[in-house]
Amino acid sequence: MDHSVKNLLVASLISFCSIATSSAQQDSTDVDSLLVKQLEQQMLSSTPAPSPHAAPRSAPTANPDISAIGDFRSSYTSIGKRKVETYLNELELQVASVVDPYARAEFLFSFGKDLNTGELGIELEVATLTSTFLPYQLQATLGKFKPQFGKINILHPHYFSFVDFPRMINNFFDSEGMFMEGVSVSGLVPNPYDFYQELVVEVGRVGSEPNASLVQGETNRLLYMGHLKNFFDLTENATLEIGLSALTGPNKYAFSTTIADLDVTYKWKPVQFNTFRSFTWQTEALLCKTKPNSNENVQTYGAYSFAEYQIAKRTFVGARYDYSAFPGDKSLEDRTTSLLLRFQPTEFQILALEYQHANRSYGADVNQVVFRVIFGIGTHAAHAY
Amino acid sequence: MKNSRSTILFLALLSLFMFSIGMCQIKVVTTLTDLKSITELIGGDRVDVFAIATGYQNPHFVDPKPSYILKLSRADMFVTVGLDLEIGWVPPLLNSARNAKIQKGGEGYTDASLNIPLLQVPASVNRGEGDIHIYGNPHYWLDPMNGKIIAQNIFNTLVRIDPEHRELYEANLRRFVGTIDTKVKEWTEKVAPFRNTKVIAYHNEWPYFEQRFGLHIMDFLEPKPGIPPTPSQLAKVIEEMKRENIKIIINSPYFTTEDASLVARNAGGKVVTLATSVGANQNIKNYFDLFDYDVAQIVSALQ
Repeated sequence: MDHSVKNLLVASLISFCSIATSSAQQDSTDVDSLLVKQLEQQMLSSTPAPSPHAAPRSAPTANPDISAIGDFRSSYTSIGKRKVETYLNELELQVASVVDPYARAEFLFSFGKDLNTGELGIELEVATLTSTFLPYQLQATLGKFKPQFGKINILHPHYFSFVDFPRMINNFFDSEGMFMEGVSVSGLVPNPYDFYQELVVEVGRVGSEPNASLVQGETNRLLYMGHLKNFFDLTENATLEIGLSALTGPNKYAFSTTIADLDVTYKWKPVQFNTFRSFTWQTEALLCKTKPNSNENVQTYGAYSFAEYQIAKRTFVGARYDYSAFPGDKSLEDRTTSLLLRFQPTEFQILALEYQHANRSYGADVNQVVFRVIFGIGTHAAHAY
Repeated sequence: MKNSRSTILFLALLSLFMFSIGMCQIKVVTTLTDLKSITELIGGDRVDVFAIATGYQNPHFVDPKPSYILKLSRADMFVTVGLDLEIGWVPPLLNSARNAKIQKGGEGYTDASLNIPLLQVPASVNRGEGDIHIYGNPHYWLDPMNGKIIAQNIFNTLVRIDPEHRELYEANLRRFVGTIDTKVKEWTEKVAPFRNTKVIAYHNEWPYFEQRFGLHIMDFLEPKPGIPPTPSQLAKVIEEMKRENIKIIINSPYFTTEDASLVARNAGGKVVTLATSVGANQNIKNYFDLFDYDVAQIVSALQ
């Protein structure tokens, strides 16, 4: 009895599998016309055997992608001896390529002018190796990079909507933002609602550039950073991104500074006419706890909010409000308002005019007008959303 | 008895598992809806296809939203137009997809442009000429005969990743090729009375369509590819339309009609908005509908 049941089940299993395999096959009896038979013959003779690595078309060169982006500025500032400036703020040279089937690399050099000394300096801002083939859909980057802290720190100046970083970034890190040397690992987080959620964890030391909150330190204490990015498609035309970030690392007092950050970005772009109209609203706030000694913890804040509207295919207007204190010092505060007009003749050239009014608790109000021209040549990798 | 029950349960579960494997669909992500349509026509029930761009969207400018990364991270196959058409949005998506199968060189990566006889391959590359595509004009799916080559490229990948269903894909490919040949004959016959008709287009995206259906595109509203129409260019086109007795301006769904309408009013012509992709409107449900619609629009405008 047992044997017959087993035989029956094995037979049914085999037939089940064969049904499963053949169920997707379609009846080809309707394709037996003379025309189709001729086509069949043609195809049999012309169909190449599928190759496991059919080479896509590529440039007849193994050179990496190389791009150079210039950032020229003219400005008027209401205070100071030299009210009018005209200078090349930065030249960014990027070299990027796939290293091998398992990784890609990027190097970014910045040639910038120190406005105080007038000297041109060269800085290696980014040098990374990114592995694309880790298990569990993880991605790892090592080297020197801009940590994914908040929404705006990761951007390079040529990609800003406005001509400068918000005061919050200037005051708590540096006018170029924060850099880091270490390892970054990111992964997609499965969730029951199936929206995009990415967790990034970074460990290392803060870059050697000036940084108001953090230092590389003399001890083994490292910089730890985490970022959780949540992205929602609200409609076909609108998206919402909410990010949470936190970092802790050594400060100049040989204690720790801990910073938490929340970023919210709403974007609207009608899919059909997405090159003609768009709207972005972005807000970010940080809370910084600086420990200057073993007994004290100084808590200060920074925030910005901007809106940008595209009024024509090549023209954008925007406004930004910033508030920021400084790390470890509640008495110093900046409040700035910026108005922007940006014109982009093509993707490779941006002209921007910005007016900024700064109200400072530690000095006179400042009015500034900046005219900036960004121009790029070569092959520059497209930016993430 | 207890043993036989366990065996029955085990075999039943095994059957269910084998059945689910047999029925498990191949997850495909394509950049454009046209590639989605052709993949569905070749893959039949075996494929579950998602297209990133909509049919009424400018394929040069698609936002690389993170939600697409989620789709790509789970895909078995990725189909791209290639030729740098999607250079502004596919690389950041693939770089973040964390999926080796669909990267360039991976078994699920499909460059639909392979073996396409390309038009307008530049002898030299200079951005002063506007948005020039260094490998040639990438709007090749707008010649239905190229649809056969696209289908062949998609077929090759499907067979590579799912060889058990080769016969199904072959049958579907044969059917697709047969339908295209039959339909191309119909479409070209319909447009035949208007061969060599001179027209104006907004953007240089119709050379394959132009060649297949015998139209003659004389000029563009864009002074250079990707550069928005300027008053001097529009004035030049108006003059040209009057001089050459051109009556038609071809627009695309994702360009506003303001400039085309202005020129048409001043030159005594009319604007025809052709579909550039499947899904440009709700009546265009597949690759054959695309040309049914465009041919009908052209014939109706020229009659």
